[in-house]
Amino acid sequence: MHIPDGFIPLGQCAIYYVILIIALYFAGKWARANLDEKRIPLLAVLAAGIFAIMSMNMPIPFGTSGHMVGGALVAIVFMAPEAAILVFTAVLLIQALFFGDGGITALGANVFNMAIVGGFVGLYTFKGLQGIIGKYPSAFVAAWLATLVAAVVAAIEMAIAGTFPLTVGIASMALYHAFIGIIEGVLTVIVLYALEKFRPDLLAWNRE
Amino acid sequence: MELSQSDKYLIVVGIIFCIALAVLSPYIASGDPDGLEKSAEDAAVGEDVEAPVMESPFPDYTYEPLDKLGEIGVLIFGGLITLVLGLGIGYALKKSD
Repeated sequence: MHIPDGFIPLGQCAIYYVILIIALYFAGKWARANLDEKRIPLLAVLAAGIFAIMSMNMPIPFGTSGHMVGGALVAIVFMAPEAAILVFTAVLLIQALFFGDGGITALGANVFNMAIVGGFVGLYTFKGLQGIIGKYPSAFVAAWLATLVAAVVAAIEMAIAGTFPLTVGIASMALYHAFIGIIEGVLTVIVLYALEKFRPDLLAWNRE
Repeated sequence: MELSQSDKYLIVVGIIFCIALAVLSPYIASGDPDGLEKSAEDAAVGEDVEAPVMESPFPDYTYEPLDKLGEIGVLIFGGLITLVLGLGIGYALKKSD
């Protein structure tokens, strides 16, 4: 769901950049209070892994493809959407600058959708469901919903930008991302399970 | 910057994962439009609406002169600089003791 340059008018891009700067201020504050040296390699490996997994587009119905995003995953691993903001600013900046994937002018909007919306929806869905259906099922639902909501938010941004009509945009984005979200959910659960098995000390849910 | 054995192991596993995906994805990743591109088609957004503001060195994760090998190379390069940037951000912002 990387928005390219040209899909959002520059004036509106500026608004998303302001949101990005405010988000980075809070993410920096979170890191200074919570990011101990032990979890820095984890943050970096998640960033690199997300960069790599985004190259692996998998086919979904309707002649479309999609890949994992990972906003919910990072937010759940650190129990903090702020971590997702740091990771996605790094990943999306490199993708935009070196590979033309996601616009440079749209960077603020892309971080907003994937990290802020994805991270918050993912983490709070997980927290809300964890006690009812258990860790891994809630992680699946959280990741699926994070993908879906982020896509719908992107469709709303496209409508505000005048690029997509609202109804067509929401219907298409929701339909495709309901499928892409399944990929997201499965991979999120696999990564969380692997971390729990091999490095439980790194998972914030074992610390609280 | 002292890394424990298990953190080194984590970074090595991360690098292996990135290299494995970089080698595989030029061959097995789907070339179909992604959810946003397909939605743009559904909404009849013209091809010329997308307008990059700068030329990227490796557009769409390709390096033409080397074909598939170029794609693999730029993906490994991208994964590694993302790892380094992630470490940089982490050490720059880490909790002060």
